[in-house]
Amino acid sequence: MARITAHAEIKAGAAPGRPASHSRLSRILRIAWRALRDWCGDAAYEQYLRSRGARSASAHTLTPAEFYVEQLNRRYSRPNRCC
Amino acid sequence: MRRFFSITAWAGVALLGASALGAIALRRGETLNAIWFVIAALCSYLVAYRLYSAFIAARLLSLDDTRATPSERHDDGCDFVPTNKWVLFGHHFAAIAGPGPLVGPTLAAQFGYLPGTLWLIAGAAFAGCVQDFVILFCSIRRDGKSLGQMAREEVSERGGFIAQLAVLAIMVILLAVVALVIVNALKSSPWATFTLAMTIPIAILLGLYLRFVRPGRVLEASIMGVALVLFSVVAGQWVANSHSWSHLFTLSGIALTFAIIIYAFSASALPVWLLLAPRDYLSAFIKAGAIFSLAAGILFVRPQVLMPPFTRFIDGTGPVFSGKIFPFCFITIACGAISGFHSLISSGTTPKMILREGHARLIGYGAMLLESFVGVMAMVAACAMTPGVYFAINSPASIVGATADAAATTISGWGFPLSAQTMNDLARSVGEQTLLNRAGGAPSLAVGMAQIFSNTIGGAHLLSIWYHFAIMFEALFILTVLDAGTRVGRFMVQELGGRIWKPFGRRGWMPGILMSSAVIVGLWGYFLYQGVIDPLGGINLLWPIFGISNQLLAAVALVVATTILLKMGRTRLIWVTLVPMASLVTITMTASYAKIFDPSPRIGLLANANALAAQIAAGTIPAAKLGETHRLIFNQRLDAVVTAVLALMILVLIVEAIAQWYSILRRSREPILHESPYIATRWAEDFSGAAHGDD
Repeated sequence: MARITAHAEIKAGAAPGRPASHSRLSRILRIAWRALRDWCGDAAYEQYLRSRGARSASAHTLTPAEFYVEQLNRRYSRPNRCC
Repeated sequence: MRRFFSITAWAGVALLGASALGAIALRRGETLNAIWFVIAALCSYLVAYRLYSAFIAARLLSLDDTRATPSERHDDGCDFVPTNKWVLFGHHFAAIAGPGPLVGPTLAAQFGYLPGTLWLIAGAAFAGCVQDFVILFCSIRRDGKSLGQMAREEVSERGGFIAQLAVLAIMVILLAVVALVIVNALKSSPWATFTLAMTIPIAILLGLYLRFVRPGRVLEASIMGVALVLFSVVAGQWVANSHSWSHLFTLSGIALTFAIIIYAFSASALPVWLLLAPRDYLSAFIKAGAIFSLAAGILFVRPQVLMPPFTRFIDGTGPVFSGKIFPFCFITIACGAISGFHSLISSGTTPKMILREGHARLIGYGAMLLESFVGVMAMVAACAMTPGVYFAINSPASIVGATADAAATTISGWGFPLSAQTMNDLARSVGEQTLLNRAGGAPSLAVGMAQIFSNTIGGAHLLSIWYHFAIMFEALFILTVLDAGTRVGRFMVQELGGRIWKPFGRRGWMPGILMSSAVIVGLWGYFLYQGVIDPLGGINLLWPIFGISNQLLAAVALVVATTILLKMGRTRLIWVTLVPMASLVTITMTASYAKIFDPSPRIGLLANANALAAQIAAGTIPAAKLGETHRLIFNQRLDAVVTAVLALMILVLIVEAIAQWYSILRRSREPILHESPYIATRWAEDFSGAAHGDD
């Protein structure tokens, strides 16, 4: 269920616990800000903490610094920038 | 009623697009506003996306949103990350959009604006987007497997090995040609060289900040980095005006070649967080900003297109690169219409992050349409400058002469009026000593962009700042392709070497890292060096080989896609991938044959080598130039062999695939499809769509 909520947040770009009466503009700005953070990788660690892999009991949860290096090593070991 | 309005609206879009295409195609002798290009492209893309991609999604691929994607099944927060479709669209676009769609159309503008523009639009809609979309779908259905793995499983073991070798070979040629574009842009330009050099300490500073001060805080670090880079663009002017500093940063082509080789070796061997990744962050932000600014600038300025629809160079005698309109226009445009390299991204990171199958349409097909639009904008920027200026910047000294007077006389003789004063004034206004003989496309694109930007903000006195901003933007993300590509190439060399000697394949073994980095840098560095010393400017030599290899990789991707679709029983609709595949094979094989065997020394590599050998035999080469000429002969023959080997490898793969197709169609063998088994998504309750405003 928690995963579904997280998924719903991904889709809607809404922060949990905020009143629904926020203005349309602030909601759009919040969604844009979240999308920008997701796009550039700023929110990658938060996403990792929400992931099933990090939340499984057997897994060692990486620190922000460990996660950052681990993620970069993976990303730049396969083609990720094109011609 | 709603349906009626929908049909009417789409018919209107189609009609508007057809009118704009008609205006572009049928104008003769009158000036044409760039806005027609934007309307024609956008309307064509909308119609292609609405109709053709929907047809492919529903009828050919039968996308299934109830099926769990790899990101749901393997969600580990590192590789497999469920991602919002618009965010993933941004990721995918940032990954596929490189220098190709900017440089290719700029070079192809030598044929006139029409052939390149039509191929950019039609090629993307019917070939490039189809390739990206279908390969993304195939990889999603196979847990995010790579193109090589899919070729091995679905075509043959040998097919997979050929695909792997082809990727490595293409990577080597790609890195050499993009490095050559940078060398030609920075040659004898202290301002541009200083700006680009400054991005190295800035990236290292960011790398240390992101590693030790605020791990992973990419946004704040990138904002600081972008501010520093923009400051270095302005500071470059002070460097150029200082006698001692400008001397330090005025480098020849050879010196720049070695500087770039040393840089790429370092970026490949150093920890990725120190230099490569922070530079990539900088590049991504500046790339996105510059592309959107260019689009906004074109809409705001609405420049007149001064290049004719066709030039006299469709006969193959062009000064920028030689070869007839068929097949060389298609080969030169490359990534703006279809790029084999995209299939590596579509079978790499993206399928591991996609939330549901239905998103593949927007991400696979839609992102490629946007890339094609970048190509159209580059074409507009190139064609909006005076044709004489365009040819003066992009032609080598051996054809137009090394001085402004000589270039003006030659180019005016071709029917494109140009005065020496125009070139001198233009160079002065952009803060350069000269803009002559800057083959490669980057400087002419920078001039076009700077003219558009300065007409939007700042006027003529900011032209030099905008020019160097554009050069920095191009060089920065070309360097990102270079260092990221060198690192990936290093892993490929280690993997291949590990088959012969196990320790070499270990990724953490330092001697292996250094040796493999040296091998990959040495390979592309050699091609770069031969491009720099080439009397015709190198682009004439290397860009067509790059285009051929890139399009051949696209043919490989479409062979794999066709095989998978046949195994899925989609025989009646197989033309969707078969027709673009057959077209690409025809184009690339014709181009390969011409590059190797054409009797004209300016086109055929062997003819050029033989002509030089004949000159040596006749004693017309001065003794001092004998060594250089022997090297040129060797290089031409080497390039002919490389082109032939690439073409042969792909032919072998095609023959293997045709044998497979025959047995599937004859039903002599039960087709084995290596798809992951169906697992229903756990997010099924979200699929009503209404809850999240999906699609």
